[in-house]
Amino acid sequence: MDKFAILQFYGLIKREVLEHRNLFIGAPAVVALLLLVATTWAVTQVDESQLAEGLRYVSVLFDGLSPFDMAPFFMLLAVPFYLTLYVCSVIYLINTLYQDRKEMSVLFWQSMPVSNLQTVLSKIVTIVLVAPIFYVLIIFAMYLIAMVWLTILGISNDVDLVGIGYMFLAAIASLVLIYISAFVTSLWLLPSVGWLLLFSAFAKKTPLLWAGGVFILVGFLEDFIFGTQFLANWVASRTSDPNQYLIFEFQSIFERIFNYDTLFGIVVGGILIVGAVFMRRFTD
Amino acid sequence: MSNIVEAKSLRKNYGNFTALDGVDLTIPRGAICGLIGPNGAGKTTTLKALIGLCDVEGELSVAGRDPRIARHKLMEDVCFIADVGILPKWLKVSHVIDYVEAVHPRFDRKKAEKFLSTTDIPANKRIKNLSKGMVTQLHLALVMAIEVQLLVLDEPTLGLDIIYRKEFYDRLLNDFYDGNRTIIISTHQVEEIETLLSHLVFINKGKIVLDSSMSDLPDIYTEVLVDADKVAQADAVGPIYVRELLGKKSYTFEAVPREQLEVLGELHTPSVADLFVAKLKEEKHG
Repeated sequence: MDKFAILQFYGLIKREVLEHRNLFIGAPAVVALLLLVATTWAVTQVDESQLAEGLRYVSVLFDGLSPFDMAPFFMLLAVPFYLTLYVCSVIYLINTLYQDRKEMSVLFWQSMPVSNLQTVLSKIVTIVLVAPIFYVLIIFAMYLIAMVWLTILGISNDVDLVGIGYMFLAAIASLVLIYISAFVTSLWLLPSVGWLLLFSAFAKKTPLLWAGGVFILVGFLEDFIFGTQFLANWVASRTSDPNQYLIFEFQSIFERIFNYDTLFGIVVGGILIVGAVFMRRFTD
Repeated sequence: MSNIVEAKSLRKNYGNFTALDGVDLTIPRGAICGLIGPNGAGKTTTLKALIGLCDVEGELSVAGRDPRIARHKLMEDVCFIADVGILPKWLKVSHVIDYVEAVHPRFDRKKAEKFLSTTDIPANKRIKNLSKGMVTQLHLALVMAIEVQLLVLDEPTLGLDIIYRKEFYDRLLNDFYDGNRTIIISTHQVEEIETLLSHLVFINKGKIVLDSSMSDLPDIYTEVLVDADKVAQADAVGPIYVRELLGKKSYTFEAVPREQLEVLGELHTPSVADLFVAKLKEEKHG
């Protein structure tokens, strides 16, 4: 890939981030703010001596331990951000190719020397790799504010700050786990990504209704014609267990990506994404 | 002179509606070509086909490429301005410039900024907050800063006031056109572009009804303000269109030698607008 192609792809990603900054930056920032406000309120309800005691306990708990071993403690704090990311991803994917056509700006985008494949790929890279970066940065900012606040509280209550420092390092290590979890989950959900993009490129109106409606129709036809529920069971098996969306151990990352189920999903997602590229090409 | 556009038997249907019905089109390099037609004639479909934005049947070559299989490569050599509404409204002016600079290998940012400095367009404003005229100026600034062979304009001045319209075409001629580049303009405001054109194409009901260089028109078409006593004689020659004008009858003839018509009355070359009406009426009445 030459230098211009890289800069061109960067330009496409930048466009996505600018256009959807509310989903990628605004939404997690609101979640972070709400968490900080809720935590502050909760703290004001607790007696200061109890608070100091709790802080000492946490400080001792983390003191001297590997941040990577303690990182999973912070994964639950990331759950609201995950939920926000997934809701925002659905909104983004179902609208991203549809909105261009709706507001006619597709004529401008397609008047540039950018292929439909590059356009669709830029959208996938944005949602799979770039959006989680913004979420992680905002979680980092939230942790930073929390740490400053805990440090002040620790100093005023004579708590050992080394343990607090270890806790902060574990929180930072959890950011890596959070980012990788988001990436692996994106691969796991690639069939959904492809399905939503396909209908975003296809539908002339209400793309979400199309995506949902056709899915239900295909499932119904499968049941009616073949008497089987493969599609419904397959989707249920990929969505019903919350553990499929979070990674608690660094050691399990490789195993989560390179397994039959994930790889099969990547193939199905890839086919649907190619369909979205062709659909964008032929929908006029 | 080689041709930048060569199209043969282009066909396009939208359901039961035939948008293009065997369009044959040849546009030479360096031409300023007007594509004129009534609403629903197939102008926009033709232009979209030329830049690979709609799939058509038939043979098509634009700047040596088939737009259907190499649109993004073709767009390195071709620019397109449609109706003023197509620039994304959520972008800021500076963002649009950043974007085009990032994705277009032949974009000259300094040129675009120089052009914009002669306008009242602020770089930090969103496009949705600009007037229609400003949006067109911005789009023109982007296009003029790109080194391309062909510029395709689909109703580029629609909804603009006369000052913006005039400025648009002045800039186009003075700052973009250099004799080698080709411009294809589709518009309803025929009178405004008539003097710019070197090539003329009329389209109606998906078919090309005229494809000629402007310099050939006087040799092919003649308008005669026929003297009252010569009306029967004029009718016998076989006009393609007759209309009442200031109490007299104006006849438009196609491919009739001027010497043969001189005896009928005062001769003129019809304006593009008059010729357009004549050709469409001829189509209608056979």
